[in-house]
Amino acid sequence: MAGTTITPAASYGSTAQAASVKRERGHIIAGLAPVLLWQTLFFVIPMLILLVYSFWTMRDYRLDYTFTLDNYVAIFTNPIYFKAFLLSLQVALFVTVICAVLAVPVAYFIAKKAGRWRVMLLVMVIIPFWVSLVMRAFAWRLLLGERGFINRGLELTGVIEQPFSFLLYSPTAIVIGLVYAYLPLYVLPLYASFDKVHDNWIAAAQDLNATPMRAFWEVTFPLALPGLMVGAVFCFIFGLGEYIVPALLGGGKSLMISQAIRLEFELRQNWPGGAALSIVLMAIVMAILAVSLRWLRPETAR
Amino acid sequence: MSAGTVKLGRPNPAKGGVALTAYTALIFAFLYLPIAVIILFAFDDKPVPGLPMAGLTLDWFGKAFSDPDLMASLFVSIKLALSSAVLATAIAMPAAMVLAWREVRLRTLVMCLLLAPIVVPQIVIGLGLVLLFRLVPDLIGSPAIIIAHTTLTACYATMILYSRLLGFRRSYLEAAMDLGASDLRVFFEIILPLAAPALLAVMLLAFTDAFGEYIVAWFVAGFTETLPIVIWGSMRGVLSPAINAISSVIIVVSLVLSALSQIWIIRQSRSSS
Repeated sequence: MAGTTITPAASYGSTAQAASVKRERGHIIAGLAPVLLWQTLFFVIPMLILLVYSFWTMRDYRLDYTFTLDNYVAIFTNPIYFKAFLLSLQVALFVTVICAVLAVPVAYFIAKKAGRWRVMLLVMVIIPFWVSLVMRAFAWRLLLGERGFINRGLELTGVIEQPFSFLLYSPTAIVIGLVYAYLPLYVLPLYASFDKVHDNWIAAAQDLNATPMRAFWEVTFPLALPGLMVGAVFCFIFGLGEYIVPALLGGGKSLMISQAIRLEFELRQNWPGGAALSIVLMAIVMAILAVSLRWLRPETAR
Repeated sequence: MSAGTVKLGRPNPAKGGVALTAYTALIFAFLYLPIAVIILFAFDDKPVPGLPMAGLTLDWFGKAFSDPDLMASLFVSIKLALSSAVLATAIAMPAAMVLAWREVRLRTLVMCLLLAPIVVPQIVIGLGLVLLFRLVPDLIGSPAIIIAHTTLTACYATMILYSRLLGFRRSYLEAAMDLGASDLRVFFEIILPLAAPALLAVMLLAFTDAFGEYIVAWFVAGFTETLPIVIWGSMRGVLSPAINAISSVIIVVSLVLSALSQIWIIRQSRSSS
């Protein structure tokens, strides 16, 4: 008895369910399709084209379509490319360490000590990040040049007689410019981490007689490590491949890898060579991300 | 022993320590002084800007805004950045809605595809795109620049919108659906008004970013000159203070746009959660 009354309703329910599942799937496809198609066409395919080009060569300004590993052999044997990769890694490392040291106290201050000013301070840290990097690097040319703000200021106040010539057009200038460019990016994840450390935990440590310093190093800081790692990874990979800052502040005596890529493309018209450099650079970035994925995952999952 | 003292709640900001406060102030000076220097020198009454300042003048602004090349590139940049910002937001919004509100299989794969253009160096994206556009040379120039900037900005546009939409009360949407509203009606009468601040914020960010982007645009620009390309070119030679003047206008506008969008994003997360 009961079974006969339920059956039609149940079968009606299941067809409705099937219809709604179908509708749901239609929604998902329709929603994701535009952005996924776009990124496939204008990101994934260009990367595949780069990969293909990297196995070709350029002879007398014409592409030679025979498969070869010559471009990659050149990267690992030609000291110019090798030095460029080395300089990029060194610069990225310096930038990451300096950014971390500068960002930790600021992020801590904003998260824990700024009271009702914290949102405003956080916004103020982020907004210079959106100013064109061309102009932010340009500012450092005005500051660091031989007749720039810093040298002239020191001369006028009598601190130095001769301007410092090492300030602009040097790896130092590149590091300063990149620290300036990516500091806001480092403060953000650190802030998020410090913000998640409950004040009660710090208070508990201090009640157990820890000094504020000890409470910071043994409670707050270890809990903020995920933010420190996320900031470090992004700072490092952005510093590694940045073009604008080294091109404007580096002076061109020693090239970073991004500059070598543009040189291959523009001056030497060697697109396959540039493509191979790009692939190696990308491989390094992907390797760094793969190694650090276990620190990144809880952040991206949020 | 600190017997008898009870510490509860948020540490008092007054106890923040003078050193930490001073340090933070220094970092803020580091963040803002360099761009302030460009703005300051834009008023310097000397053909080659430098200390000590000779006097204040507005001439360089007049010169910049009457320079036909500079103005032409400014309008090109505004037009292209506006197009790519609208396009990026338009393709980001449906994806963000799906990611925030529906069960998506292969979610990780989708997320990876959306994050990849952010971590891949821009010089690599630029080179890849120019090799792609060699297959369709007609697109080189303005269309290619719009496409390139849409590719760069759509990723974080999707991620920002996604994280904002996560905070939405689904009950609003379900209530409307239960009352028989069509999908389109739900979108235009409920989702769009609620998400408007976030959409506008994302559009402003994408605009600011695309407007100032140089290296990817340079690869695919052909003979099209955006403002960053013109400024870059002028930095090779003797710097005219007119460049300082136009740069300082753009810096101030960028700061205002990015401040507005950050505030809208934060407001949105507060009002909806």
